[in-house]
Amino acid sequence: MLRVKKPVPYLMISVACILLLVFRVIPLCSSLLGSIYINGAFTWDTFDKLFFHDAIFWKSMGVTLRLNVVLIPVQLVVSLALALLVNHELKGVGAFRTMFMTPFSISGVVNCLIWGMLLAKNNGVVNGLLNSFGLPSQGFWSDKNQAIWCIVAESTWAGTGYWMIFFLSGLKGIDSSIYESAALDGCTPFRRLVSITLPLMKRTVLFVMVANTTANLLMFTPMKTITNGGPMGSTNTLMYEAYKSSFQFNKPARSSAIVTVLLVMIALVCALQFFLMRDRDEARVKKGGAAK
Amino acid sequence: MKRSGAKTAVLYALLVLIAMVMVFPLIYSFSSSLRTNEEIFRYISPVSVHTIIPVHATFENYVRVFRDYGFLQPIWNTLAVCFLSVGFGCLINSVAAMAFAMMDFKGKKLIYSVILITFMIPFESISLPMYRITYHLHLLNTFTGIILPGLASGMVLFLFVQFFKDIPKEILEAAIVDGASLRHLFFKIILPMSGAVLVTSALMQFIGQWNSYLWPLLVAQSKSLRLIQTRLTDFNTEEGTEWAAKYAAIMVSAIIPLSLFLPLQKYYIAGVTSGSVKG
Repeated sequence: MLRVKKPVPYLMISVACILLLVFRVIPLCSSLLGSIYINGAFTWDTFDKLFFHDAIFWKSMGVTLRLNVVLIPVQLVVSLALALLVNHELKGVGAFRTMFMTPFSISGVVNCLIWGMLLAKNNGVVNGLLNSFGLPSQGFWSDKNQAIWCIVAESTWAGTGYWMIFFLSGLKGIDSSIYESAALDGCTPFRRLVSITLPLMKRTVLFVMVANTTANLLMFTPMKTITNGGPMGSTNTLMYEAYKSSFQFNKPARSSAIVTVLLVMIALVCALQFFLMRDRDEARVKKGGAAK
Repeated sequence: MKRSGAKTAVLYALLVLIAMVMVFPLIYSFSSSLRTNEEIFRYISPVSVHTIIPVHATFENYVRVFRDYGFLQPIWNTLAVCFLSVGFGCLINSVAAMAFAMMDFKGKKLIYSVILITFMIPFESISLPMYRITYHLHLLNTFTGIILPGLASGMVLFLFVQFFKDIPKEILEAAIVDGASLRHLFFKIILPMSGAVLVTSALMQFIGQWNSYLWPLLVAQSKSLRLIQTRLTDFNTEEGTEWAAKYAAIMVSAIIPLSLFLPLQKYYIAGVTSGSVKG
């Protein structure tokens, strides 16, 4: 450690600390307090209205759950599969890896505008493809039953390359000799994945699950740029409802309350994931012990 | 491990198939940006080779994006914001990181863990109160208001701390014995050794800032201050049917992050994974 006068390190960290305090810590507190501390007094009114007299909130909750129950597992499985695929030692595999990562280096807005046109009802190239195979055109973004799945397609395309990077770095950290002994024991590829690979990169899997859940529950760009929450509220997620509440309906307390609900949901999902991962790990250790 | 020829063929087939899905939207956008609306629409259905390959390639859309739709100013604005963010961001975070990595002081552990926790706070969840704070600081519609909130970053700070910890102490001590000041130590000895981590954090901040949408949407509403992503969405709302020009605008805003990311991807990957592996 360098020996310096007492105030020196504090001066060095002061700018970063003040900025983080003003633009991270205080906003977080104010976000959490904004719904229950109004006009100088604590009140439960905002949540009371939100939970018991707000049909739009509950509909929006339904949309958020529908979207994420599908999107999160799909993204996790696809990005893990991609990582396993490009982890093979093949000639030119690096070029494929780069191609898989390309979509996420481009902004969400650009991705959404591209997908907005690809999956357009009229003049969309995907409908052109369907027609060429003799299939009828689909409504996609303009169909209230399909728009949400278009978001799943768009964000899976845009996001999996990013999550793949984490899985890939986890895979690289595994000693390959363990696979050779597994192969000698006649281990099937699926069994190898579930019993060896995933447990060995548990930290990575957990990190990706938590970060992915957070990102998806707070997704905003597709709703703002393509669907505006429609058609008929079918893509009106909680995050978008919170945005509208604050900037279009001028109801900041309701907006804070919705964001708080989202943060609690994220915390719950993450806690669940930690619990599931831990449970499996202990079960595996016990099984191993019994076999010996 | 040995692999049979058939298995290799299947792997390649899979790779090519997925690569096509990943790259097709971009190739298609690029090809459409070189065509007129009429030509794009004519070859949409049924799909033929001309769905992808232009019949009469033209740069007219790109000319229109700059001449008629004024994309030049948002691009300058965004470049300015990116460079200022990268410059000040690297300075603020690396100076703080030097204190955390090389000096002892009271409360260090506590402050450092709070900083690492702030890195877990998702931006979207605090953007609305951040808007109110920026409003009260009279920073709406200013460059300062766009840049300031993103400068200090737990992620970048962490990258610098990890790197600084590995710098051999002997080098620093020798410099101090020679009478080097702290400033000299930082600018003349530590920073020149930190090329890799500087590239990584600069790249992450630059691409992040270039692609950011929600924050500029909230704080930079005046036309003269618009950044590229908000300009793009406004264009989408105002001229939604101008597909050919939209594709050109899309390519214009994608080319900068792409041309940075593709050659420098190993630095980017090192940056995003360091948190999950070491942290």
